[in-house]
Amino acid sequence: MVTESMRVKLLYNTDLEALKKVLAEKRVPFDPEALMDHVVYMFEIEDCSRVTTHQLVRHRVASYDQESQRFSAATKEGAVTPPSIQANEVASRAYGEALKSVYSAYEKMVAAGVPKEDARYILPTAIKTKLVMTINARSLMHVIWQRTALQAQWEIRELVTSLYDLAREATPELWAKIIER
Amino acid sequence: MFKLNPHAGSECAMKVSLVWSSPKPERTIAVAMRRCYSTKVIEDIESELEQKGTEYWKFLLTKCLQDRSLDVLEHFTMSLLVEGAAEVEVSRLVRRFPYIHATRLNEADWLFSLNARTLVELWRDREGKPFAESVVAELDRKKVSPLFNELVFGDRIHAR
Repeated sequence: MVTESMRVKLLYNTDLEALKKVLAEKRVPFDPEALMDHVVYMFEIEDCSRVTTHQLVRHRVASYDQESQRFSAATKEGAVTPPSIQANEVASRAYGEALKSVYSAYEKMVAAGVPKEDARYILPTAIKTKLVMTINARSLMHVIWQRTALQAQWEIRELVTSLYDLAREATPELWAKIIER
Repeated sequence: MFKLNPHAGSECAMKVSLVWSSPKPERTIAVAMRRCYSTKVIEDIESELEQKGTEYWKFLLTKCLQDRSLDVLEHFTMSLLVEGAAEVEVSRLVRRFPYIHATRLNEADWLFSLNARTLVELWRDREGKPFAESVVAELDRKKVSPLFNELVFGDRIHAR
């Protein structure tokens, strides 16, 4: 059900083999725990809600650059609808009407000459956003522990699960040994 | 070869070698910068950057330095082998720059990871400068980030 169109892509990651080569040269046994600070991933995250990115950027040991509402125009197509609202006819109608009204006010204000950075004050946190995130494996592991827990919200849980899948696929040896523990 | 703190009177000399760094660092920084201002999907941003070429990356990098928006530099990351470093000197450096990750490999050899923003901060710091100079020299030697090095460290203006 995810956010109909949320997309996560790994842009690069540290070459684990290069690090392992140094360890071998120095006759140090491969210990994934010791390399977690040194393996870095850069992700592109597209079309998740700002609700979720507000939660994500609370994980401070990472670097983020996010699409700015000061400069980008918002559109009413770009909002995430939670499954609980989608599944409820009354809620869905109320949600749709509220979004329509908010975006109409936003467009009127921008047309009237209000700068986008001020008109955006009325925008909902349901709005879709795009960002890049660079994070090391240790910090990512902390995010995974926190945000894949059952009490975490559905959208960030799905986002972080995707981050984990991509990181594990890129550097399986690192994560396999950590999971074994 | 250099001393981490030339004022401490230590005779310990170290060697810095690059182990790994982000691919196309200047383009990576440009991607982060364009992400803030563009509604496009990442593939379109990347094609735009490839199409416009290095002059455009240079323009964006210059702008972020002028605006002092150094957060975009954090996406350019690197790992280094530091050989011949005493624990006391590494501890001093890591305490001062907590975003350097240092792992001891054996008595005097260390694996360091840091990003380019931290490198700029090291460069600006009296105690960090000798180490930063050594890292920049290694990036120069390996031709990793010629545009970045020229713009940030070349004219000794922006990174001051």
